[in-house]
Amino acid sequence: MKPAIEFRKPMLVRYARFRWDAVHEQHQIVFPEGVLVLNEAGAAIVRLCDGRSTDDLITSLEEQFKSGTWAEHVCNFFDRLAKKGLLHDAADG
Amino acid sequence: MPQTANPYSLLAELTYRCPLQCPYCSNPLKLHEYSKELDIATWKRVLAEAADLGVVQVHFSGGEPLLRRDLIDVVREARHVDLYTHLSTSGIPSDDVKWQQLRDAGLDALQISLQDSCPESSDWLAGVPSFEKKLRVLKTVKRLRFPVTLNVVLHRHNLENIGDLIELARQLDVEKLELAHVQYKGWAFRNRAVLLPSHAQIEQAAETVAQARERLGDRPEIVHVLPDYFQQFPKACLNGWGRVFLTVAPDGAVLPCQTAREIPGLNFPNVQTASLEEIWFHDSVFQRFRGTGWMPEPCRSCDRREIDYGGCRCQAFLLTGDLAATDPVCHLSPDHHLIDAAVSDATRESVSLQYRMFTT
Repeated sequence: MKPAIEFRKPMLVRYARFRWDAVHEQHQIVFPEGVLVLNEAGAAIVRLCDGRSTDDLITSLEEQFKSGTWAEHVCNFFDRLAKKGLLHDAADG
Repeated sequence: MPQTANPYSLLAELTYRCPLQCPYCSNPLKLHEYSKELDIATWKRVLAEAADLGVVQVHFSGGEPLLRRDLIDVVREARHVDLYTHLSTSGIPSDDVKWQQLRDAGLDALQISLQDSCPESSDWLAGVPSFEKKLRVLKTVKRLRFPVTLNVVLHRHNLENIGDLIELARQLDVEKLELAHVQYKGWAFRNRAVLLPSHAQIEQAAETVAQARERLGDRPEIVHVLPDYFQQFPKACLNGWGRVFLTVAPDGAVLPCQTAREIPGLNFPNVQTASLEEIWFHDSVFQRFRGTGWMPEPCRSCDRREIDYGGCRCQAFLLTGDLAATDPVCHLSPDHHLIDAAVSDATRESVSLQYRMFTT
């Protein structure tokens, strides 16, 4: 499996859902038999997994947060999600 | 006691009816006492209340949820209130149309049971011919692109087929294979003497799983839940009583756990007379074992009290008669000898299973 940073179109897999839980007051990725709780950084990243490329995603985050340290965050986060089977490269079909 | 957190997961047992008769079923022995089922209007209200309470995931189960004619409507309603939906099922009875309808209604994930790796044994354990049908269902749902967990309950009679079960899961290309050693509650407790494996079988099973993981990587993901009778410490049953999970039974009883019903003397609340919110936060059964204040020694002073919460209440009751006792599977429990005795007494002789059915 290629490293997630090389994904051209990083997206959540079909059976994983990103949501805001108003009761527990947290962002979540919900998947079969599991809930992954996201912090603000994770939520910001997943919100942008809408079909844009990884490079565009990192650029958007750097603009949004006026900070240049997102590449490493995204790389680590994507690897974690890919390892759990929650993220894939939609460009691979 | 710190404030009670909101739950995450609802087990919705839609019916206790089932076409199979597995002798390890965790449903109550007195199935006939709970045969009046909730109607769909009530289930819709329960689902909406669950979502408002913070529940994220619902597992439709039973018995066999496919026997509910209104299952599609129930699933649709669950999706409508933003619950992530699972169906825990034998796959029987169903046809291709039913699975397509479930997909269209928004069913998210499937857990399909299999009793063993070959038809003769699987059908014997289920009490009815079922293996071939299950395989057909597994192919249909794969075609419909459901994420699938194949669930196999392990015990003495199929433990040595773990290698074949893993291979079958690989061929079927399921996402996950859950190999869960039977828990001795409900019908499994009644059949315990003929279900308990030996230490050697357990060790061999663990070895087979380890080798398969190395060979296969993540596909399927293999979950191997070891039997607590053979371990040093108890499981954190449900992540603790009334912390994360709740069950609504077919007649509307609300339970902290699906097997709590066999504990006499507990007055379970019912969705027909109270809201889920009232029940979760205020009902005395739910409050009874929250936190650590109720614990006896050795749990009360133990470092693990907030790791395993004293183990399983149902198991403590079944084995000692005391609902509040330390779970005897814990090697620190004063009743641990009961576990040792059960393991060594488990009969090695010919097998007579008591099949799960409505007339007792």
